[in-house]
Amino acid sequence: MTATDHSSADDRTLVRAAQRGDMAAFEELVARHRDKIYARAYSMMRNEEEAVDLSQEAWVKGWQRLRQFQGEASFGTWMTRVVINLCLDQLRKQKRQRTESIEAMDEESGGVERQMPVVTSNPTAGLERAELRQRIDRALALLSHEHRTVLVLHEFEEMEYKEIARTMGCSIGTVMSRLFYARRKLAALLADLKKQD
Amino acid sequence: MDFDAQLKLQAFLDGELPEGEASKVADWLARDREAAALLEELRNTRGAMAGFEAGIQLPESREFFWSKVQREIQRRETPAPKSAPTPLLARLRRFLVPASALAVILVAGAVLIRPAGPFDHAHTAGIETALADAGAFTYHDYSAGATLVWLSYPADNEVADNDEAGTIE
Repeated sequence: MTATDHSSADDRTLVRAAQRGDMAAFEELVARHRDKIYARAYSMMRNEEEAVDLSQEAWVKGWQRLRQFQGEASFGTWMTRVVINLCLDQLRKQKRQRTESIEAMDEESGGVERQMPVVTSNPTAGLERAELRQRIDRALALLSHEHRTVLVLHEFEEMEYKEIARTMGCSIGTVMSRLFYARRKLAALLADLKKQD
Repeated sequence: MDFDAQLKLQAFLDGELPEGEASKVADWLARDREAAALLEELRNTRGAMAGFEAGIQLPESREFFWSKVQREIQRRETPAPKSAPTPLLARLRRFLVPASALAVILVAGAVLIRPAGPFDHAHTAGIETALADAGAFTYHDYSAGATLVWLSYPADNEVADNDEAGTIE
């Protein structure tokens, strides 16, 4: 398969070629999906350097486990799960090295999200795409990694509650509670950012 | 509104409720403005996040990133070189060098910490005179580990001169 063939081939064909050891085919797959894999790592880690390292590790693991890929999901989805698992491992390691965040303690001690006033007007209405992205970025950075992870898995990865619970190793109730808190906190943070303008 | 009701509202938004329950929540929303406002807030937040990741790009060029990935793949696929069998002499040397060093340390330690006593002399040799008998002399050579004793008979001291009984004829 030539370089031209690679750029015009679909993912399925490239995966089959890569499974036979064609590294050029794998390179094409990396080029196609690298932004998505990096974006997922960045959403979860909130650190550019870590996200680059973890996405690189995900591609190395992807190559090593390529024979296990049977094509039930798309290659992009499969690779996204690889990077998510790496990020979760990394976050668990980091969690062991630091104390619990204030947000997590709040959640455990009764849930401040229940008392937060409802944000009646949409704080992101009328914002340009770039401005909206910047605000979401700042607000996401203020969430604890447990809440951010649930939000990322639900909103970006479109996982169901039970799938998130399985991935994170917690109950469905915890997933629902964390998701609710994360959304309410995010709404409040976005409203605050709007007020600051 | 209690917490369970709030979570049910969220599950309704996420399509996680069974059909029967979902229609009950829809009826409740039509009657409860507070619940409707909360649902609207949750929906807005969800909407704001849509497409967020689409703007994030890997901050490295295609070539550079791929070169790192490729290098790491190749590094992991290259089997670690097996160590060649160690020759007998090298194995002996590996054992003898530390053993010799240990022996030197032990000998030096023994010499340095030897307790001061009758055998600890500044000089390696010396001559002693026996007090009981002024006519007897002892010569010690510590380095050679030799002791030489000599006696002078008949004793030519004062006591012996006056004591006839002690004189050997």
